[in-house]
Amino acid sequence: MLGEERRAEHEGALTEPPSSRLVSPDIRDEFGLETIDMSMGPQHPAMHGLLRLILELDGETVVRCDPVMGYLHRCQEKIAENRMYPAVIPLTDRLDYFANMHNEHGYCLAVEDLLDVEIPPRAEYIRVLMCELMRLASHIPSIGFLMLELGAFTPILYAFRERERIQSIFEAVTGARMMFHYIRIGGVKADLPPDIPQKIWDYIESLEAHFQRDFVDLIQGNEIFISRTRNVGKMTQEQAVEMGVTGPALRCTGVDFDIRLDYPYSVYPELQFEVITDTAGDVEASYRVRIAECLQSISIIKQCLEQMPEGEVMGDTGRRIRPDEGEGFGRVESPRGEYAVHVVSDGSDTPYRVHYRDPSFCNMQLLQEIVPGHYLPDIMPIMGLVDPVSGGWDK
Amino acid sequence: MQTFLNLLEVEPIRLLISFGAVLFLVLNLAAVLTMAERKVSGYIHLRYGPNRVGPRGLLQPAADVFKLFTKENVSPGRSDLWVFLGAPIAMFIPAALVWLVVPFAPDAVVADLNVAILFFVAITSIGALGVVMAGYGSRSAFSLLGALRGAAQMISYEVPLILSLLGVVMLTGSLSLVDVVQAQGDTIWTWYFLPQLPMFITFYIAGLAEVKRVPFDLPEGESEIVGGFMVEYSGMTWALIQAAEFASMAVISAVTVTLFVGGWQPPLPFLDLGPFNWVWFGIKTALIMFTFQWIRWSVPRLRMDQLMDLGWKVLVPVTLIWLFVTAGAMLVF
Repeated sequence: MLGEERRAEHEGALTEPPSSRLVSPDIRDEFGLETIDMSMGPQHPAMHGLLRLILELDGETVVRCDPVMGYLHRCQEKIAENRMYPAVIPLTDRLDYFANMHNEHGYCLAVEDLLDVEIPPRAEYIRVLMCELMRLASHIPSIGFLMLELGAFTPILYAFRERERIQSIFEAVTGARMMFHYIRIGGVKADLPPDIPQKIWDYIESLEAHFQRDFVDLIQGNEIFISRTRNVGKMTQEQAVEMGVTGPALRCTGVDFDIRLDYPYSVYPELQFEVITDTAGDVEASYRVRIAECLQSISIIKQCLEQMPEGEVMGDTGRRIRPDEGEGFGRVESPRGEYAVHVVSDGSDTPYRVHYRDPSFCNMQLLQEIVPGHYLPDIMPIMGLVDPVSGGWDK
Repeated sequence: MQTFLNLLEVEPIRLLISFGAVLFLVLNLAAVLTMAERKVSGYIHLRYGPNRVGPRGLLQPAADVFKLFTKENVSPGRSDLWVFLGAPIAMFIPAALVWLVVPFAPDAVVADLNVAILFFVAITSIGALGVVMAGYGSRSAFSLLGALRGAAQMISYEVPLILSLLGVVMLTGSLSLVDVVQAQGDTIWTWYFLPQLPMFITFYIAGLAEVKRVPFDLPEGESEIVGGFMVEYSGMTWALIQAAEFASMAVISAVTVTLFVGGWQPPLPFLDLGPFNWVWFGIKTALIMFTFQWIRWSVPRLRMDQLMDLGWKVLVPVTLIWLFVTAGAMLVF
């Protein structure tokens, strides 16, 4: 029914910025128009955990959107100050629970920065392998969540099927499905079981075989998907950079910022991959970026499996980790953006201060900026664009 | 016995008994449809669906109904109680009443009204009332938004729904549904969905919107306004709303079949089952309902402005143009 011509007309209608839908306060006063205040969340199915949005609505148009955080705050940074260095790793698992490997990796990089320990190359490859699997296990469900929030229930189940398979691999490698405690200071906990590289290879091959069908063909050409996501949540490069947005939400505006290339860590310089960018800066672009990043991750995983050297998986850190006084910093590209850890040591065996810069928290600022002027149902795809995780913004 | 059977022929008694039978059918249909919905969604999602209660999970609806009966009926503290409790009833009655005029077989119709189509149109438009009552009575911002969306949507889609009926009425020259079915004949190519294809598609889409199914489930919108007008309902009031939704879905399918797909008529003359022709009616209705469920699990939801665009800028012009074409064709041939 909606042909190419009509789609163009649709775009024309939407190219005017959403803020043009807002009625100015003067007019509202003059005609006695009232707005409704509405509290969306923290118990709300589309709020990615426990986010509360205080909305002011003029009909279906959102006039004001204030995110309220703190419903999942667990004092992670304070607890870390009372734990010995290795004992903080399981805590980092609980931060962004869709990117546990990246959290561990970032923390270990920061402590290793303090310690000056040499990490065996095999451990580095295993870390990258696990992180890229984690990226797949985060990007694919986030596409599913986007569709779920648009009202389509099926993609989320296909997405979770993939996530379950990846989690089974994690379970075989680390012993846990979500809270791994696998990446340790100086290396990784244990070598890969002998049959695992082949299993990962087989899984990646099978994922490649049906990725196009399940996550691209089903979604990308759908008229309703296009009309719900194109030009929704549109932001400019300047806006995104000013607000400190990172990850797919930044790259979909055309900025090719990726920690893996711009501040290389681990063995990423030895691997071939591209930074995916898009120019539109809307929800549909962020979906395309995530899809293409999944394919890049698949290629990185294959390269890791091919290039992985033999050898030790744990460097020599000594019996007790007690770094000298100083500061350590580690940053990784988590599925949601830049995840950075700052560790300050006072020379004892517990950190003096640990700070996490979590992309979920920083990207959340987008909501306040770009939601006003959109319709109420547009909040959900915009949440899919930002894709925050509760454990990440509340530390 | 003879007197009893004769008594059944007496008009008000026959009407009451047959309507009672149809009502029984509708209530059971709602239960069967919840099961069908979950099984169909299961197969589309590559999972099993309910398979624990009874053989192959077939007793699941019974277990659901039992659970809903034993649940406490909670109403919000500041709700307008009479409106709140009246809404599910106001939703269910219109959905059940339309079954009065749906012909299951040549002489199996509760009331063969000569204005059956008008009756159908009049009764379905009452459905919006229940949605507004539910949203207003709940005193919640989410419900209110759902109710406003529901009212706007159901009234807007009434227009293409009625306009798309008119082609059939013009071809038949009668407002009786029995006449409409009889005029379609017992071969698949004489049914009205071929000459009235745009009207059939419009009626199907408008019907989908009228019964608030995906992609037009904005009043419910479970991922944005978490259930919309029915967010505050629980226990049997919620079950009644669900039953009304499923009953109206079934009734729209049945009316679609009656108007466009030949009602009880077999697709080819040699497939005529005589007194068992209602089987054809059942099969066709089930097929239409299956497509409703298929769509539900395949596509996302539209937004309010896009919904209005589709209704007023696409469906209404299409029906108007095709009305003109039909009238012209009738004049020429």
